[in-house]
Amino acid sequence: MTAPVEQPPSTRLAVAQRVPLWRDVVVLKWFTQVSLLAVVLAALWLFVGQAGNNLRAKDITIGFDFIDRPVDIQLSEGIDTLPNSGGRALWVGMVNTLRVASVGIVFSTILGIFVALSRLSNNWMLRKVGAMWVESLRNVPLLVQIIFYSSILATLPRTSFLDPTAAAGPLNQNQGPIHNWLHISNKGVSLPRVFIADGFYQWAIVILLGAIAAHFVRKKRLKQHDDTGRETSPILWAAGTLAIFGFVGLFIHPVFSFVGPIMGGIASLIDSLTIPMTQAVISIVAVLLALRWIRKFRTDRRSGSGHLNLSDDDWFRMIFAGLASALVIVVIYKWTGLSSWLLNSGQDLFRLAETKFNVDGAARPFDAMRPDVLKPGNFANYGKNGLTMTRGFAAVFFGVTFYHSAHIGEIVRGGILSVPKGQVEAASAVGLNRAQSLRRVILPQAFRISLPPLGNQYLSLTKNTSLAIAVGYSDIVQVGQTIYNQTGKALPVMSVWMLFYLACSLTISVVVNFFNMRLKLVER
Amino acid sequence: MTEIQSSAGVPVIAAPPQEPHLPPKEWLKKNLFSNVGNTLITIMTSVVILSLANGLLGFAFGSERQWNAVAVNSRLYMSFAYPEAQYNRIWFSFATLLVLAGLSMAIWRGGTRMPFARLAKSAYSFGVGLAIMVWLAPLSTSGTVKWEIAAGGLLLAGFIFNRIAAQDEERSLSSLTLLVGTLASIIATLWFIPYGRHSFIGDRIPQVVSEPGTVAFSTKLPWTIMLFVLVGAYYLGIVLRDRLPERRTRSVLMGFWLISPIFLIYLVLRDPAFTMNHVLYTDIPLVLGFLVVGSLILYALTKPSLGEIGRIIAMLILLAGFGSFLTPMRMIIRIFLIALGLFSLAAPTFSGDKSTRRRYSSIWSGFIVIAGWLITAVNTPSTVEVPGDLFFGGATLTLIVAFFTVILSYPLGVLLALARTSNMPIFRLLATTFIEFVRGVPLITILIFFSVMLPLFLPEGMRLPEVTSVTIGYALFSAAYVAENIRGGLQSVTRGQHEAAEAVGMSTSQKTVFIILPQALRMSIPPMVGHTIGTLKETSLLYIIGLFDLLYVGRSVIPNQTAFIGSTRENLLFVSVLYWVISYSMSKASQRIEKRVGLGER
Amino acid sequence: MNETDNTITTTRSGRDLSDAPDIIVCKGVSKWYGDFQALEKISATIKEQEVVVVLGPSGSGKSTWIRCINRLEHHQEGDIIVDGVELTNDMRNIEKIRSEVGMVFQQFNLFPHLSVRDNVTLAPIWVRKKPKAEAIEQANELLELVGIPEQADKFPGQLSGGQQQRVAIARALAMEPRIMLFDEPTSALDPEMIKEVLDVMKDLARSGMTMMVVTHEMGFAKEVADRIIFMEEGQIVEVGTPEHFFTNPTEDRTKLFLSQIL
Repeated sequence: MTAPVEQPPSTRLAVAQRVPLWRDVVVLKWFTQVSLLAVVLAALWLFVGQAGNNLRAKDITIGFDFIDRPVDIQLSEGIDTLPNSGGRALWVGMVNTLRVASVGIVFSTILGIFVALSRLSNNWMLRKVGAMWVESLRNVPLLVQIIFYSSILATLPRTSFLDPTAAAGPLNQNQGPIHNWLHISNKGVSLPRVFIADGFYQWAIVILLGAIAAHFVRKKRLKQHDDTGRETSPILWAAGTLAIFGFVGLFIHPVFSFVGPIMGGIASLIDSLTIPMTQAVISIVAVLLALRWIRKFRTDRRSGSGHLNLSDDDWFRMIFAGLASALVIVVIYKWTGLSSWLLNSGQDLFRLAETKFNVDGAARPFDAMRPDVLKPGNFANYGKNGLTMTRGFAAVFFGVTFYHSAHIGEIVRGGILSVPKGQVEAASAVGLNRAQSLRRVILPQAFRISLPPLGNQYLSLTKNTSLAIAVGYSDIVQVGQTIYNQTGKALPVMSVWMLFYLACSLTISVVVNFFNMRLKLVER
Repeated sequence: MTEIQSSAGVPVIAAPPQEPHLPPKEWLKKNLFSNVGNTLITIMTSVVILSLANGLLGFAFGSERQWNAVAVNSRLYMSFAYPEAQYNRIWFSFATLLVLAGLSMAIWRGGTRMPFARLAKSAYSFGVGLAIMVWLAPLSTSGTVKWEIAAGGLLLAGFIFNRIAAQDEERSLSSLTLLVGTLASIIATLWFIPYGRHSFIGDRIPQVVSEPGTVAFSTKLPWTIMLFVLVGAYYLGIVLRDRLPERRTRSVLMGFWLISPIFLIYLVLRDPAFTMNHVLYTDIPLVLGFLVVGSLILYALTKPSLGEIGRIIAMLILLAGFGSFLTPMRMIIRIFLIALGLFSLAAPTFSGDKSTRRRYSSIWSGFIVIAGWLITAVNTPSTVEVPGDLFFGGATLTLIVAFFTVILSYPLGVLLALARTSNMPIFRLLATTFIEFVRGVPLITILIFFSVMLPLFLPEGMRLPEVTSVTIGYALFSAAYVAENIRGGLQSVTRGQHEAAEAVGMSTSQKTVFIILPQALRMSIPPMVGHTIGTLKETSLLYIIGLFDLLYVGRSVIPNQTAFIGSTRENLLFVSVLYWVISYSMSKASQRIEKRVGLGER
Repeated sequence: MNETDNTITTTRSGRDLSDAPDIIVCKGVSKWYGDFQALEKISATIKEQEVVVVLGPSGSGKSTWIRCINRLEHHQEGDIIVDGVELTNDMRNIEKIRSEVGMVFQQFNLFPHLSVRDNVTLAPIWVRKKPKAEAIEQANELLELVGIPEQADKFPGQLSGGQQQRVAIARALAMEPRIMLFDEPTSALDPEMIKEVLDVMKDLARSGMTMMVVTHEMGFAKEVADRIIFMEEGQIVEVGTPEHFFTNPTEDRTKLFLSQIL
């Protein structure tokens, strides 16, 4: 401004002056926030202090030593039914939770889609069946359902369907719907299983290469389609490539045994690192990351003319990044154990990889084994060699699958219904038939709409598997409860639970968000 | 399954067209037998349904079923071990709620008109359904005949309705009449139909007694009175509606609804035995003091021209409130101080002319009286004589926990949602951390945490009943989900609304209270109804931590009685049906209301 | 470009405003959204009772500018002084300016959950702290003024666009502002409803209200404006009386704009 503004005498122009603190909006805003933070922190501090006193008075220590200590737990099922330590027991519980959750997610999705399609079918009977399925399952608490299924399964014959005369007697191997292979009883279902054998890891590398190759094949076919307009079925080609690699890999996988020594080399490298070095490296990485973030941030917010424009939030984020890196440094120097744990576990990981790859050339990637009765006369528990689905598992599985299939069905149906009618009309106007318009026009749009709520359903399904505790399925909550009943370490066990479930939730939301982003990009 | 995919399974987009006046034959052809695939599906699904129904009915009416277990233990289901001598309290509370319900129905002009044509249709379908079910069920011959007669009655009613509808298309019946009529006829059957008397006799060795005849007098009389109370209240409401200003009446009634639960719970659980000395010389002076001083302060602080000094005073009061935790002081004073601080902080938002200021002060007075009464009541022992800690349970426990969870979690959820959407980073950080943490963790771990760990976090000498601590945990859990629902509503309020409110000079809090929240809450009612039903259903998790809720009674208490060992499945089926009826009817009713008033739409 | 003297005293046929006091003063106002500069050193002065029409292609920063004057957006450089009060972080000043400056939006932004009367009385009661009866009386007068007294008990959703916009004007006037800002008030309206809103605005201009109007209605600009400000890419390109602006613009960019629009 070169020309000074001429002020007529009548103009009431305020002289620019400092705003008093108690009237400055920015100051007030930060004052409110900081005081609320102070109140929250003070309350937390009070509570935690009180808890510390109470725990000391009751002579309970907080610590994670139960992880290494032996515990007296027998699990209903899992990769290890008689774990030798608390940590191992919790680990088995986690695997059990993940097992039932993942199977539940797959089956509830399939079932849910069928429910949705049947509710939209033009057959009156099918529509009504779908509606009944949804309304009856949605409105009964999941826990009641799980317990109900469990009590129904308890009425199955004691050993086998086929041979009622043997009900009371010792288990006969020649029983079951398929003799010697499959058994159904009130304790559960036993089936043969396929498991990974020594050669698997080398074979996995072949598959990895195959996946990369498949990716390129798919891209190439897609390009061909774009160039020529011919139907090139890229997905089919990619799958075929992968299958060829998988099949060839079955014969040539020992080629990759050289990976073993490389892993060993990395392990030795980690072994040679010292603790101060680790601490220094981690600190430097933390600081660099924070700095890089802040710098990136500042360049993003800088206008073409070089004006830097930062809002409150931006400042807060920058301070937060700085504080976080400072916190990392403090933690890493305060607890030397953390560094040595990192080193040790890193080394262990690579040593493990080394042994996994270090097998002779004849090892097969897979092995199949049929049930092999461990304790005749008892429940046909096939231990490590067979696959068993106990009653608890079945109850939880049916519970979450049915319950969530009703919800998923409604979500998918809502998604399909929310595609505007004009889309269908447009599809038929360009000459697509009903199936084509469903496949090419409606389902893609419906999927995009129903993805976020579907993700929520998967999250809640995973969390709902914790109800397994009511039917004695050894998931992480049940195992944890047994542990804290024995050791009194309620707080540590609960923190393990919460960490585990938070990790599950994060994983699922990351996956869902990934697909969501991709779909959104397509939209643009 | 491929069959479904290729022919009939391809979904019709948009809801299937409703053509009510298609002749039956064509309707069947169109909806069930339009082509080969369709016919196949119809036959298959019919077979599946019929065999399922057959199995279920065979289970329910099998001769070895012990339905007696449910009938004898209905008292256990409803209120667990609540002393029989005190049942009047429960009836009184129930009657109070019915009075409120009846008044509200009249004053809000509840109920819709049901056309006779629709009534006829549902009577027909129920009749046919009942007839098929009876045919499938393994009943005795006389039983079959009786039930088939009932089905015939339904069909007859349908026929009559149809005739009425045919005479006059417009004829309709109020849904309230229908409701009261149904209730009345159900209650009337208590007097005439011999359901039998089922009860336990003897304390040491309980014996089941089932006498023929109608139900006990102590059952049928109160229910009859309740019916009359409901109808009476409805007509009283109609009289009041015509005499009093509608708006005022509605807000007064809302106030009654809001405070009723707290008073009623106290009536049911504990009738406080006030020690008059303490009340007269400590509590009443305290409450009065805060009432008078607080009202004066607030009257002064709501003066529009006051400016920033008001905020500074409010902060000082608040600081005194929090500071009082460092000094030995009565809890009631601390709570009142903090409340006064918050009220003064909100004062500039609600400042105005004299009548507005007087109203604000009187809201404070009302608050202080209710809070004072509550705190005093909590601190005095109960006169309800009960056997031990776990005297109440069953449906009562389920409802109470669900109710308090909802009541506590809604305001908390609104605050969290506001914090999460605010432009203040620290608020957002705190709220987001809390919400995402809670939502990432299963309810059961939170309940276990609060039942096991909460006592450890409390100061020495302070003890909470397990139900209370679990309810607090449940409310915190629920608040995170409520917050997400409300956030959806908040985000659906357009930017233009914010700007318009700012442009007419509203402060942030005025904007939130007068413009944003009313719209956001309205938008989030449908998901909140769903959440409320979910809250009720998930109270069944109390079973896992060993509280005597409905499920616990059905799963672990009754099947362990000597007389009813092994009756788990009957009891579980009963509990499922109970839950189903409650949550299905709630969700249907809410859907109907939403459609009628256009909730969830802008 | 920003050396153009924007603070000239302006005259218009029939009105001499050279002695009127300045009511809005902008000095070198700049604003960025991230790295996009929305306003570039805007300087202008608006006199009391003056009617200024801001023209320009979409995205030229017109709306941003008048929203800065009401502090719906925060400018990052320069000063804005409204009625002698500088726009700073001072709580008092913000409160004061918001109730001195009325604003009418393109999308009306009526409060859908309140009746028309409540829309108009809400701010007078809670912000101006008027007694309720007085506020209702005033609302009735204002609704009369904008020509829809009979709609007072309806809800915004039941009104036509033109009626809604007139309610919005009444709502802004209820705060008894000294300045009215209009942000494209007729852009969201059907053609047949534009006139009823413009008529209300013309009456308002004749009554001596200070007005700043962002619009594409050239007829309105010609007829009512004391001065026209033409903006492009966040800068003020040209300032002048309607006669000067429409008949004899100096800048090439203005000519281009006018050739496209007329």
